[in-house]
Amino acid sequence: MSLERIIQTEELTKHYGAFKAVQQLNCSVRSGRITGFLGRNGAGKSSTIKMLLGMTKPTSGHGTVLGHRIDDPKESLEIRRRIAYVGEDKGLYGYMTVKQLICFTRSFYTDWRPEIEKRLLEHHRLPLDRKVKALSKGMRTKLALLLALSRSPALLILDEPTEGLDPFSIEELLQTLEGAPHEGTTVFFSSHQLGEVERIADDILMIDQGRSVLDMPLEQIRENYRRVIFRFAGNPPAFPSNFDGIERIRMNGHQVTILASGNIEAIAQLGRERNAVDIDVAPLDLREIFLETVQEQEHLGQREHHDVLV
Amino acid sequence: MYWYKSWCETRTVILLGIAAIAVACIFIVFNQQTMRDNASEPTTYVALIWKAVYDTFGFDLFFILSVVLGSGGLLQEKTHGTAGFTLALPVSRRRILFTRAIVGYCGVLALALTPAIVLPLGSRFIDQHYSAAQALSFSLLWACCGSIFYAYTFLLAHLTEGEYSAILAAVPSLMAYRFLMAILWLTHFPTLNIFGIVNGEDMPFFNESTYLLVGPMPWLALIVMLFIASLFVFLAVRRMEPMDF
Repeated sequence: MSLERIIQTEELTKHYGAFKAVQQLNCSVRSGRITGFLGRNGAGKSSTIKMLLGMTKPTSGHGTVLGHRIDDPKESLEIRRRIAYVGEDKGLYGYMTVKQLICFTRSFYTDWRPEIEKRLLEHHRLPLDRKVKALSKGMRTKLALLLALSRSPALLILDEPTEGLDPFSIEELLQTLEGAPHEGTTVFFSSHQLGEVERIADDILMIDQGRSVLDMPLEQIRENYRRVIFRFAGNPPAFPSNFDGIERIRMNGHQVTILASGNIEAIAQLGRERNAVDIDVAPLDLREIFLETVQEQEHLGQREHHDVLV
Repeated sequence: MYWYKSWCETRTVILLGIAAIAVACIFIVFNQQTMRDNASEPTTYVALIWKAVYDTFGFDLFFILSVVLGSGGLLQEKTHGTAGFTLALPVSRRRILFTRAIVGYCGVLALALTPAIVLPLGSRFIDQHYSAAQALSFSLLWACCGSIFYAYTFLLAHLTEGEYSAILAAVPSLMAYRFLMAILWLTHFPTLNIFGIVNGEDMPFFNESTYLLVGPMPWLALIVMLFIASLFVFLAVRRMEPMDF
């Protein structure tokens, strides 16, 4: 089955009591692409992934993975049959040996590829007869990745996959992930390592406080996002915050800094009209966009909280 | 293969439990003369076996092991951090839990059968006789009553989180039930007392002078116990199916 949107959510919401982990999340992940799933700790990334896998039930909203509904237990089984997942904690059965765990996992899937298993075993130098509980954290991560990568899943979901890995293994993993779409596997991975995300991701999905704050191809982000700095001789004038393309305005002395997601020329014109003595337009990397976007959301959140209290 | 995982999780308790019960039975059989000599009143070999294996030491061991076997499951996996891996497999929660429950109960059956193998065989070595039919009948009682101890703990293990919380809740509550059954007016309902049925004490199917099971087995009570145990497992499954991990 060929689907353009391999993951799709509509108003997906998850509340744990009073805590709103995910709020009306609308997102889509395109087939045959690598999507970086970004957000701060507690932003709702793991909760979203758990809902996609059927580990937690959405409070409201809908979602599909590979065309199957995530809230239907039978369809969730089909989803899990066709995807591979490596969780944040890489929790594996400590009482099994590496060999036993590989045999155990292999038995659930028809798309297992022994040649990849063999190659990864040799590459990672995983001791087959050692109990999983005796492995180091890095080795456990390598084993968890081996179990996910030794197949040809339609979708690979990874939650912080490089955590605990040495630089050499990170490089290998990134290369493997880069090649996955050519083998028909879509990759959806969360990471705090923005450099890694920027290197391999085709699309970026950024969430904060459970809401989607950015859902765009990385190429488009690179093309569109700019930091526009205006310097004024005296006190800076006001700028319209609802102007098309303006994401955030920050004033500092005689300087106004605007985070723009497009419409750059028109924004620059706003500065000229306000007699800016200097206009500087600079591209942004993903880290800067992430920090700016998240700070903006925090600011909005605090303002909402303040309004509610008032 | 999910059976294999459940076996891996329970095999240590099952194998060590079988060994412990077997060693306890052998110890009692081979020290029977000393124990009988030190008894406060004249005791037959059969009576000693009942008192030491089916009424006290052997049964206590079986009871604790049944409870320990029941304490596994998905919430314990959550505590160990492996629930994410398990739940990402293409296996339904229902199947995960039923498989774990069945494998664990097979362990209870193996523990219950151990005295039925060791006692008749061991008795031959010391020129004594203990009927295999008697031992098998007691094993049947252990298997049915043990299903309640096991399934009750299994349910608690899916109601409370924590490595030992199910055991810590099950043992005192089952002990409280045992003492409750000794309350005067409840003694009029002996079939409600699992701890009485399990060794036959004060039951019509047990002869307290020969220490042998004599009458027909309490089939209805045993079937009801198995039904209640199944209900406990079913409730555990119902509790886990919608749960967030």
